[in-house]
Amino acid sequence: MHLNGWEVTLAIVFLPGVVLASASGLMLTWVDRFVAARVQWRKGPPAYQPFADILKLLLKQTTVPAGGSRVTFLAAPIIGFASMCVIAMLLFFANFFPHVSFVGDLLVLVYLFALVPLATIVGASASRNPLSAVGASREMTLYLGYELPFLLALAVPIVRTGGAIRLGDLVLAQRGTGPFLFSLSGAIAAVIVLICIHAKLGYVPFDQAEAEQEIMSGVLIEYSGAPLAMFRLTKAMMFFLMPCFLVTVFGGGLASFWAIPELLLAWVIIILVKNTNPRFRIDHALRFFWFILGPLGVVAVALALMKL
Amino acid sequence: MTDAEAGLRQLVPEAEVQERSPRRFYIRIPRERLTVAAQFLHRERGMRLATCTGIDTREGFEVLYHFCEDGTGTIYTLKVLASKDDPRIESQSPWSPAADWIEREMHELLGIDFPGHPNLTRLLTSDTDWDADMYPLRRDFVRSRGGEAKTRREAHEQ
Amino acid sequence: MKDPLVWGLKRSPWVYHVAAASCNNCDIEILELLTPRYDVERFGIVLVGSPRHADVLLVTGVLNRKSLPRVLEVYKQTPKPCFVIGIGTCACGKQLFRNSYNSVGPYDKYLPVHSYVPGCPPKPEAMMLGVIRALGKL
Repeated sequence: MHLNGWEVTLAIVFLPGVVLASASGLMLTWVDRFVAARVQWRKGPPAYQPFADILKLLLKQTTVPAGGSRVTFLAAPIIGFASMCVIAMLLFFANFFPHVSFVGDLLVLVYLFALVPLATIVGASASRNPLSAVGASREMTLYLGYELPFLLALAVPIVRTGGAIRLGDLVLAQRGTGPFLFSLSGAIAAVIVLICIHAKLGYVPFDQAEAEQEIMSGVLIEYSGAPLAMFRLTKAMMFFLMPCFLVTVFGGGLASFWAIPELLLAWVIIILVKNTNPRFRIDHALRFFWFILGPLGVVAVALALMKL
Repeated sequence: MTDAEAGLRQLVPEAEVQERSPRRFYIRIPRERLTVAAQFLHRERGMRLATCTGIDTREGFEVLYHFCEDGTGTIYTLKVLASKDDPRIESQSPWSPAADWIEREMHELLGIDFPGHPNLTRLLTSDTDWDADMYPLRRDFVRSRGGEAKTRREAHEQ
Repeated sequence: MKDPLVWGLKRSPWVYHVAAASCNNCDIEILELLTPRYDVERFGIVLVGSPRHADVLLVTGVLNRKSLPRVLEVYKQTPKPCFVIGIGTCACGKQLFRNSYNSVGPYDKYLPVHSYVPGCPPKPEAMMLGVIRALGKL
């Protein structure tokens, strides 16, 4: 099956790109706020709250800080948002039409995931604000931290399928042999990727970049109106899509029998960890990723090489 | 008589010591001897400059330097008087960082000058909207002065 | 739904706290308002860290000559439409400090204030009522 440009655009812009990913992502952020409220013995916001937030932000005035780079400032959220939409399209086509995926689209996905913190860093640097510069440097540090174990863990399914870097091949291989999650190396790698997902999302305990109490919303301090809405929407979509990525690469694909329980488990774990932990210091977080998860990733790759 | 009191009397013969309680001493010294006495209390007796107080009295501006002897819990206060037409007191900031901001406050609120202070700018009061010789804590300060100085337009344009 | 912006502002008012030379009593009460006991999140109220994310400015304290340009700067940085709610009797009408040499005019001389919550300090329930009444008038 070959897709022409029109179908690809429709998939990015409409379904599953913007509509499905953003709607599901926003509902998930509501679930997170609901759980946080119940953990604190209170009622929590109504179910339409995230949609009201985004709608209100889209309709408010956009302020651009004077003296910064206006084009970069306004383009940065669009970069992150666009990459999320493309990720949505790639993931869904790889899962439900595995023959459509192209060679190397796993690496493309890794680069697209990297565009989101990059967009945040670029936007923060264009803000001409010392607090956002601190947030940007923290975001960069965090990115260098979690990308190392993330890539090591992603090497595990590549090794186990004998060098396939096509998402479609990974999905098909798991349909044959069962999800990689059920092997020892796959399980370790999946746990590493789950922790890295938590950090990519910028959720507590890894939200140093957007620390509200310390640096007044850090990277997003100068953003308002529609660009802020786009950043928040990107984060919500990421909350939906990253566990989907985890299930695609480790859990047997979104079309398999185990998909829904695994997705639910990933979301539940992220929400619970987010609501019950304080924030790490940035150097503690870096040390955690490099010196605890990194060696664990090497162990997982070694186990994969031993076919465990 | 405590050692500190004895040392001070020897250093500054014109000192008048008043012992309000066993742990509270008020020592009036002429303002030219302030640095010597304060440095004696801090460097040789090991006391810490806790705070300074300024007040506008009938005789002039009275500035009090409170030194705490933390070992015994005793407070020694040096009182100097600056006359109203020449309110200058030698600054203690070059050798004591504790006196820095307090002297700035006394300068902006009472109008006492501290020659030798490295940075005698205003601290608490507004840097943009303040009249030149407005010293609010002086007794002759007219209370109703100041307040509704700005219109809305002026405030937004600033 | 007459106006989506009005609906959005009513359902999701994000709050930023501006303390203009207050004695901090009202600030402490605002902090208490944001604790789980009063659960302001069910109205969509969230405390944000930057005035550029805010819809509602909770101002406390008497304006004085030093804080006036700064409060105005914060107001200018808040994207419009935004609401200013004066918390505490000092914000309502200067109270103790009305004859002070340092206090400038009441808030509505420089900013459009949409709601006043008197009290010294006002109880968190009173503040919540003030915010909800201000939004209800939209």
